[in-house]
Amino acid sequence: MGDEVSRRRFLTRATAAIGALLTAGFGLPAVAYFVSPAKKQETETDWLPLGSSSKVEMGTPTLFKTTIDRTTGWITESEEVSFYVLTENARTYVALSNVCTHLGCRIRWVDNQDEFFCPCHGGVFSKEGDVLDGPPPRPLDHFEVREVDGTLEVNYGV
Amino acid sequence: MSDRPSWLDERTGWKQIWTILFLRKIPKVNWAYTLGSATLFVAINQIVTGILLTIFYVPSPQDAYDSVRYITNTVTLGWLIRGLHHWGASAMVVLAVAHMLRVIIHGAYKYPREVTWITGVGLLLVVIAFGFTGYLLPWDQKAYWATTVGTRIVEVTPIIGDWLLRLLRGGTQLSGVTLTRFFGMHVWVLPAALLLLLATHIFLVFRIGISAPPKKER
Repeated sequence: MGDEVSRRRFLTRATAAIGALLTAGFGLPAVAYFVSPAKKQETETDWLPLGSSSKVEMGTPTLFKTTIDRTTGWITESEEVSFYVLTENARTYVALSNVCTHLGCRIRWVDNQDEFFCPCHGGVFSKEGDVLDGPPPRPLDHFEVREVDGTLEVNYGV
Repeated sequence: MSDRPSWLDERTGWKQIWTILFLRKIPKVNWAYTLGSATLFVAINQIVTGILLTIFYVPSPQDAYDSVRYITNTVTLGWLIRGLHHWGASAMVVLAVAHMLRVIIHGAYKYPREVTWITGVGLLLVVIAFGFTGYLLPWDQKAYWATTVGTRIVEVTPIIGDWLLRLLRGGTQLSGVTLTRFFGMHVWVLPAALLLLLATHIFLVFRIGISAPPKKER
C-alpha cells in the first residue's frame, strides 16, 4: 500500500514536471519570437544630400525634402524625410527635424509669426527649435549639416 | 487531506472534472494506446506555432514568400517556430493514421464507439485538408506547382469537374485569390472544424472509456 502511494505521487510529479518543461519549451521561444522586432535597429550614419545651399533663405528656416530607403520587416521602401535648414551667415548651417517632439506630428514654419507650429496639439517652437508653447517636452532634433560643392548634406544617423 | 472541499473546488468543482479526465479507470493497455494522445499533442503544437506564424505571415502574392523568409532568417527562433509547424504537419498525418490503424486492428470502432470513429474519420479528413491548404502558403515554387497539380486532380470529376477546379482556385488560374482562400480555410474554417470534431471525439473517449485490447481465444 505504502509503495503504491509513492508510485502514484512519483508519476504525478513526473507528469507535472514534463508538463512544466513543455510549457516553458513552447512559451520561452514564443516570447523571444514575438518580442524580436522590438530590438533596436542599427542605422549607419549617412550623409544625406538635401539640395543646393543657395536655396536657403538667410535667417528663415527653409524646408528640404529628400528620400531614404527604409527596411521594415521584409519590405524596403523609399520614405520621404524633411528638414528645415537655417543659416544666419550662409557659412554655417543647422538642420532641424520637422517631427514634433510631442507625439511625432509634422511641424511647419509659419512665416508671418516667425514660429514653427504643430497642428496636432498646438506645440510652438522658435526658429532655433526651442519650445515656446504647448506640450512638446524638448526642442526639435538638430542634425549636423555640411556643404560639399554647393550642396547641403545632413548627417542622418538616427 | 480533509474532506472539506477547498475554496476553489467548492466554487468550481474542478476536482471532480480532474478525476474524470485524469484519474479515470482504464483497462490494461500498451503503448499503441498513446497514439491518440500523441496526435492531440502535435495538434496543440500546430495550433500554438500556427498562431505564432500569423504574427508575421502575410497571405498576399507580394508578401507571402518574403514574409516566410523573414520568419525563417530574421525573426528570433523563427526557424524553430516554422520548423515545428512544418514537421508537426507531417507528424500529425502519420500519427493520426497510426492511431486509426490501432483502432481498426483492435476493432475499437465497434458498438458503442461508432460516433467516436466517425468523428475520427472526419478529423483525418480535416488534417489532410490542413496539409493541402498549408502547403501553398509559403508561396514558393514547390508550393505553387504542388497546388497546381493538386487542384487539377479535381478537374477529372464528371460534369462538375471544371467548376470544382474554379471553386478551389477562385478562378481558372492559381492566383492571389487561391492564396487568400487557402489561408482563410487554413486558419479559420479548418481550425473551427477541428476543434468541434475534436471536442466531440475526446468527450466520447471520456464518456464511454477506452476499449480493452481484444483477448486471445482460448
